[in-house]
Amino acid sequence: MALLTFRRELDPVNALFRLQEELERVFQNPRGLDLGPSGRGVHPPVNVFRSGDDVVIRIEVPGFAPENLSIESRGQTLSISGKCSEEPAAEGAYHRRERFAGEFSRSLQLPRDVDPSQASASCKHGVLTLRVPARAEVKPRQIAVTAS
Amino acid sequence: MTTTTEQNTRPGRSHAPKVDIVETETGLRLWADLPGVDEGSIEVELVDGVLAIRGRVATEAYENLEPLYTEYGVGDFDARFRLSNAIDGDRIEAKLRNGVLELALPKVEAAKPRKIEVS
Repeated sequence: MALLTFRRELDPVNALFRLQEELERVFQNPRGLDLGPSGRGVHPPVNVFRSGDDVVIRIEVPGFAPENLSIESRGQTLSISGKCSEEPAAEGAYHRRERFAGEFSRSLQLPRDVDPSQASASCKHGVLTLRVPARAEVKPRQIAVTAS
Repeated sequence: MTTTTEQNTRPGRSHAPKVDIVETETGLRLWADLPGVDEGSIEVELVDGVLAIRGRVATEAYENLEPLYTEYGVGDFDARFRLSNAIDGDRIEAKLRNGVLELALPKVEAAKPRKIEVS
């Protein structure tokens, strides 16, 4: 992505407008999300979404069987750890070795309006999905009006 | 001068999966991380010594989700490998487990190392 293109005569006002346009495009495009957040490079990668009032967390854990994953909640922190049971190849020579193998542990601090102790988890095709429901007190409530 | 590059017909980015490749005397074994891809959405093809792996990720599971924080892009997987060894395309075995595609690519008989007895 070229954020700024330098022309022969650089007009600073135009350059700023172009920068603004580019930034708007990046923020509006839901696929232009990988701007390099703080946790980048840490395994396994995590995506966090809002689904209504709930928080949905998706973690890519290819090669990890569901029984080898463990999830723990403590206060507003959710910890996910896993242990890979794959053994390295016994014979032959590695031409490439890019895949993660071994153990990992990650913790996520969640917003106060969701309740990690009520979280549910499912794992399918190497993607772990956690759903953390909103606390009962943040859900909208209808207040009945009675005639007095 | 113009150059043309291949484009995908489906919108969105495709990602190169992380792979492990091991060569043994009898063949190659390949593991590719394809998280989010099910059995019916994988294509494995060997044409003219080029192994192509494509995996489609169902994006329906991402509908109605509003991103708060993202560390990985969701999209299809696409990888191509030029195989230097002669591989028997008819005997390639593939299996998918926990989002990992495992391929066994046996070498053709002529390509296997042969011991020559000295009498």
